[in-house]
Amino acid sequence: MNQFFEQIITGLSIGSILLLVALGLSIIYGSMGIINLAHGEFVMLGAYTAWLFQTYLGLGLLASLVPIFLVVAVIGWVIERFVLSLLNNRPLDTILATWGVGIMLQQSVRLTVGSELRYVQLPRSLSDSMDVFGISVSSYRVFLFVITILLFAVTWLLMNRTTVGMKLRAIIQDRSVAAAFGINAKRVYGLTFAYGAGLAGLAGALVSPLKSVSPDMGTGYVIDTFMVVVLGGVQSLAGTVASAFILGELSGAIAFLQNDTVAKATVLLAIVVLIRFRPEGLFTSRVRA
Amino acid sequence: MPSKMSSQTGLPRLGAQVAPILIVCVVMFALPVILNNDFLLNKVARYLVLGILTVSLALSWGFGGILNLGQAMSFGIGSYAMAMALKLKTIPVYTGSGGLPDFMVWNNVTKLPWFWEPFKSLRFALAAGIIVPALVAAALGWFIFRSRVTGVYVAIITLATMVVLNLVIIDQQSYTGGFNGITDLAQLEIFGVAFDAYGRATFYLVAACATLSLLLAFAFTRSKAGLVVQAIRDHEGRVRYFGYDVASYQIFVFALSAAIAGLAGMLYTIVMEFASPTFLGVQLSLSVVVWCAVGGRQSLVGAFLGAVLVTGVQGALSESATFLETWTLVMGALFVLVVLFLPKGLAGLAQDTWHWIAQRRRISHDLARGVGRTREGSA
Repeated sequence: MNQFFEQIITGLSIGSILLLVALGLSIIYGSMGIINLAHGEFVMLGAYTAWLFQTYLGLGLLASLVPIFLVVAVIGWVIERFVLSLLNNRPLDTILATWGVGIMLQQSVRLTVGSELRYVQLPRSLSDSMDVFGISVSSYRVFLFVITILLFAVTWLLMNRTTVGMKLRAIIQDRSVAAAFGINAKRVYGLTFAYGAGLAGLAGALVSPLKSVSPDMGTGYVIDTFMVVVLGGVQSLAGTVASAFILGELSGAIAFLQNDTVAKATVLLAIVVLIRFRPEGLFTSRVRA
Repeated sequence: MPSKMSSQTGLPRLGAQVAPILIVCVVMFALPVILNNDFLLNKVARYLVLGILTVSLALSWGFGGILNLGQAMSFGIGSYAMAMALKLKTIPVYTGSGGLPDFMVWNNVTKLPWFWEPFKSLRFALAAGIIVPALVAAALGWFIFRSRVTGVYVAIITLATMVVLNLVIIDQQSYTGGFNGITDLAQLEIFGVAFDAYGRATFYLVAACATLSLLLAFAFTRSKAGLVVQAIRDHEGRVRYFGYDVASYQIFVFALSAAIAGLAGMLYTIVMEFASPTFLGVQLSLSVVVWCAVGGRQSLVGAFLGAVLVTGVQGALSESATFLETWTLVMGALFVLVVLFLPKGLAGLAQDTWHWIAQRRRISHDLARGVGRTREGSA
């Protein structure tokens, strides 16, 4: 029984990291239809910014979260403004363009900071472990879980309770009608992309103490989190949450029974089959073209 | 421009399209005479093989509108088919027991697995390297296109399927050589000709296969099926209303493209002298898309030359690590620019320039004629 709970908590932990990274991707894909293959690089940039703040400014991870968000968001805004906004009606080409951008970001980091592994320290206040239902769990993982839920709540509020969110939803429904009502679609898209990029940067910073930081650390995340978004259903934030935790639990469980590779392969296969029968995802009832 | 088109099909004239292919092929066969360096020839052969792979992608992506991000899967299957056959031809240095490949012995496998058995026959392996990728693609295509999955989802499914196969190959170390791949291979020998990776024979084999692939792909794009496939790319719904079975055509072009990629994979094993899971990795698979886009996805020769050009420059710069890093950065930027401003790639650019020059010529010609006529009138 204890082992069972341990598995559940491992799954939750995997799921919260998946959700953290997928949240930004989900917003960008869901609202703008852009498949952002540079998303992993935004994660990487966030991790490097955390490392920079720590080594050169002596800032702790928690103190630098807000500036990290801003830095990566600005980079995202620039990319949207100068690359992606030129590809309005060519969704497939955004895959290619963002991949090229990803390579550029990765190589720029490699050329300036170097390709050796970097390490970000765990915040001291969160370096011990705590007791959850009689099982000892690292405090940092609990913190990750909480902050992921918080970020999700903030995102949901932004989308559904603010003017910018309302404008964005209007554009998603019909861009030209929204424009006729005086909504500046370009500006809203720029902000949306920047917000998604900033979230990815935050994810990278938050994950950095658990993994080593390297220029290609982001590539692994893209496929995994993309599957989360597809499984959850485009344009469905709640679906993204559900699918992140489903995938987290699933890969945790299969990894426990078999091994990591089998877990990854099975999950991918399951998603391929799912796309075939429900391209709109598990949790959306209807899709607007 | 009516004079450029043949009157019956409305396609560009046959000669204008075949000429670039033939020129490229002649240059390929002339290369060993010019380049008197076995090491260099091996490198060029490698670029040509990647060119064939890119042609196969141009066929499904540029002509069929199917963005297959898992094109390297077919390439990898072909490569492993060849490697398995050549591995069984090596004299087992470490074992001596029943000709078991060395990595199996290290992993305590005592009997050759059933799926390795048929690869004792070279003829089987050569056929399998082309047919298996085609069959796998046909099955995957059936799975995808029968349910009318399109666009982005095709890209995701193909990419994910390739990743799964890649993971399985790495995981099943005792049967596939795992992360290290299959190394220490024998030389391929057909009809008494040994294909040494650094020999002329191998280069000519690669050049011949490249010629064959280019011509085959070209013939397909001119055939009726090829035309229907291009029509589907441009407007799927309309073709369906005409009563064509859209999915069958898509499956066919998908499988044909996989077969050519499989052929390229087999050649790659011969040229590189090993097979590795990276041959069906995400990195290579996405690179092929880049080469194809840079060269021009709607031009077979363009895609081929795009791959040869980009990998060639990359290879030339790889002697120095900093150069290579900078080149990768430049490559990324170049790629973004091509996607943004040259959706038809370098081939499209060449074509546009050609038309522009032709048009200028005609205008000046017409002007001259017009001037002549007025003079006659006044005289």
